[in-house]
Amino acid sequence: MERTLEKVEEVLKRYGYKRENLIKILLEIQEHYRYLPEEVINYVGVAMGIPPSKIYGVVTFYAQFSLKPKGKYTIMVCDGTACHMAGSQEVLKGIEEEIGLKPGEVTKDLMFSLDQVGCLGACALAPVMVINNEVYGNLTREKVKEILKGIKEKEREMANA
Amino acid sequence: MKITVDGRELSINPNARNLLEALREVGIEIPNLCYLSEVSVYGACRMCLVEVDGQIVTSCTTKPYEGMKVKINTPEIHRMRKTILELILASHNRDCTTCDKNGSCKLQKYAEDFGIREIRFQPMKKENGVDKSSPIVRDSSKCILCGDCVRVCEEVQGVGVIDFAKRGHETKVTTAFDTPLGETECVFCGQCVAYCPTGALSVRDDLDKLMEALEEGKMVVGMIAPAVRTAIQEVFGIRDEVAMAERLVAFLKMMGFSKVFDVSFGADLVAYEEAHEFHERLKKRERLPQFTSCCPAWVKFVEHNYPHLLPNLSTVKSPQQALGTVIKKVYSKKIGVSEDQIFLVSFMPCTAKKFEAQREEHRGIVDLVLTTRELVQLVKMSRVDLNTVVPQPFDRPYGISSQAGLGFGRSGGVFACVLEVLREEVGVVEEEYSTPMDGVRYANISLRDGTKFRGAIVYGLGKVRELMRHLEDFDIVEVMACNFGCVGGGGQPYPNDTKTRQFRAQILRSTMGIKTLVSPNENYYLVKLYEEDLRDEEARHHLIHTNYKPRRRYPEKDVELLPVPGDSKKTVKVCLGTSCYTKGSYTLLKKLIDHVKESDVEGRVEVLGTFCLENCGKSPNVLVDGKLLSEATFEKVLKELGEDV
Ligand code: SF4
Ligand code: SF4
Ligand code: SF4
Ligand code: FES
Ligand code: FES
Ligand code: FES
Repeated sequence: MERTLEKVEEVLKRYGYKRENLIKILLEIQEHYRYLPEEVINYVGVAMGIPPSKIYGVVTFYAQFSLKPKGKYTIMVCDGTACHMAGSQEVLKGIEEEIGLKPGEVTKDLMFSLDQVGCLGACALAPVMVINNEVYGNLTREKVKEILKGIKEKEREMANA
Repeated sequence: MKITVDGRELSINPNARNLLEALREVGIEIPNLCYLSEVSVYGACRMCLVEVDGQIVTSCTTKPYEGMKVKINTPEIHRMRKTILELILASHNRDCTTCDKNGSCKLQKYAEDFGIREIRFQPMKKENGVDKSSPIVRDSSKCILCGDCVRVCEEVQGVGVIDFAKRGHETKVTTAFDTPLGETECVFCGQCVAYCPTGALSVRDDLDKLMEALEEGKMVVGMIAPAVRTAIQEVFGIRDEVAMAERLVAFLKMMGFSKVFDVSFGADLVAYEEAHEFHERLKKRERLPQFTSCCPAWVKFVEHNYPHLLPNLSTVKSPQQALGTVIKKVYSKKIGVSEDQIFLVSFMPCTAKKFEAQREEHRGIVDLVLTTRELVQLVKMSRVDLNTVVPQPFDRPYGISSQAGLGFGRSGGVFACVLEVLREEVGVVEEEYSTPMDGVRYANISLRDGTKFRGAIVYGLGKVRELMRHLEDFDIVEVMACNFGCVGGGGQPYPNDTKTRQFRAQILRSTMGIKTLVSPNENYYLVKLYEEDLRDEEARHHLIHTNYKPRRRYPEKDVELLPVPGDSKKTVKVCLGTSCYTKGSYTLLKKLIDHVKESDVEGRVEVLGTFCLENCGKSPNVLVDGKLLSEATFEKVLKELGEDV
């Protein structure tokens, strides 16, 4: 993947490479990459003169930060009791068949990432999944595939436009 | 200042840092698990609870004031302390019998003092990852998160290689990305080990290797560092013994050592050589200030953090390596034993020496480095009572030393010894010292030949970072990584706190006092060594001088910036390490990326980054298809890439 550090430098410069801005800097960088790659953290450490252990400490302390890549579309499949009984395994199978992801993984193009989570509080719609804050309920394997196909289609159009 | 403690009126020091220190000064030790007088106050463990005017407070964060009514022994406080201990112990790996800190662990001691016999809480197992990648061994399952090591490493040593990571019950102390310590910028000074209250930090135990060598029937030769003799008595309850080293010589002979030499002889050798090196540099005014190089933690610190100052380090080896080389290369020939039949063991107060002996350029010289604590272990398991051992002199020829050579064991020793040589050979007409702050001393010296120079003597690497800002004020700088110098080394017995270190320095002074030789120039065997074996300049350089190299601070890993799949491509790798970054490697990188993207070479030239190519003196550095371009420019890189690019 292309990752030219241009954005990182831009953010660092804007915040004057100042220690007190570390969290803001990291948040903005993360917005760009959708996670904080190890080399970017090291780069920030070099540029700001902060030991990497300190940045690692900050990044692992706050829940907002992620050290693992996340997709443009983050899929969360509920595996709470209700959803489990109603067939969350089917949902997972549908996802795997359509985009080849298992829980905890990300697609190579960083388009989709998948996580399994506890009850999402929408048990009436079980089985449930959430894609970027949008809730999808009463899912079946086929329905899941349709939804994902739709997203891929939309992305393709955007890329061509 | 007057305060009441459990109904008793006490007079305390009004300037004490906090109530805990104030009470400690009058002989009352409040239990504590996260307080160190050497670093900032953390206030997390809550073991130091006391009642002040009816309120329960932590004494390490409370300032004393006139008339305060303190209670340190109430049922409530006892109950709370017990609960805290039980909570800590519930998530602690309690393998006490096989723990390195067995018998010197603060947590174990408190568990005993407070009579903890059962734990009311659910045991919670911590992740049991033991990092054995370096002389410093870390076991997080024994960590109580007091943060002492984190603060010592950052505040005292200015390294900051470990910190808290994660949160809640997952919190742990670790390096960035859990990198093994051996691959980081840790300098292996062992100061974190010295202060860790539990067995979470310890030093690699290498005693088995000694046993193997003895069993194999090799000629086992030992050498003992100055600071070892100052500390060993603490463990065995011996007081004010100035012949401790000689008792150790006798003991090691009983263990099967063939010869035992004195590292102080090596110190004389080093100071003698270093004084000449310094005088030369001073006359030519080049590579100043000269840095001492006998502390391997300091050397590694320069290699990671100040690579452009590597030429300032004295090229003379440390006493361990210098004497080691003489034993292996010169002595072996004299006694007609092949050098690989000699197994050379050095006894050191130091954990960084374990690393030093394994550095590439030193391989095959010192076969084993054992710390003072490992020596203590050896004494204990042998069941020998050191009190009853009849002292025996060190073996000749490397068995005598000057007072100044022995002084290497404490901060200021190297400087003083170098000065002794200059006093003897050039003459000193004026010397003047000042102490701008704890741990830093300045010296102004005028020599008889008219030259003047300024010296700085520092301990604690954190203070060196400060000094670096006005380096031009000095001509010679002595640095010892550990507070108070090697007497406070990471391999010394526990407790290894300020008070103990000062006491050891005092013992060293008394031991120096009974030596008859003052300067290395009077060391007859040293003079002889120079006459017989080190006369030839080239041979001397080869034997007792060494070299240093820049070291990366991040693990070696390529950063994909503009990757290209397949094999038919050219690869440009730009260094993004601190030195190169400061010299503008990012701007160079940006130009390259823009060029590649704009021209028609996209897909044929890939651009990568890396953190330090270990050639920091000539930054910025770029690798083009494996070829190193130093002091690289955009034009240089293009030229190397060839016509079509
Ligand atoms: S050995 Fe020294 S540098 Fe390494 S972690 Fe411990 S205190 Fe820090
Ligand atoms: S390793 Fe030791 S000093 Fe460091 S936080 Fe854990 S218990 Fe404290
Ligand atoms: S000061 Fe002495 S004990 Fe400490 S790291 Fe340096 S050489 Fe070793
Ligand atoms: S169990 Fe899935 S939403 Fe509650
Ligand atoms: S020693 Fe006071 S809170 Fe830990
Ligand atoms: S920073 Fe060390 S070679 Fe670039």
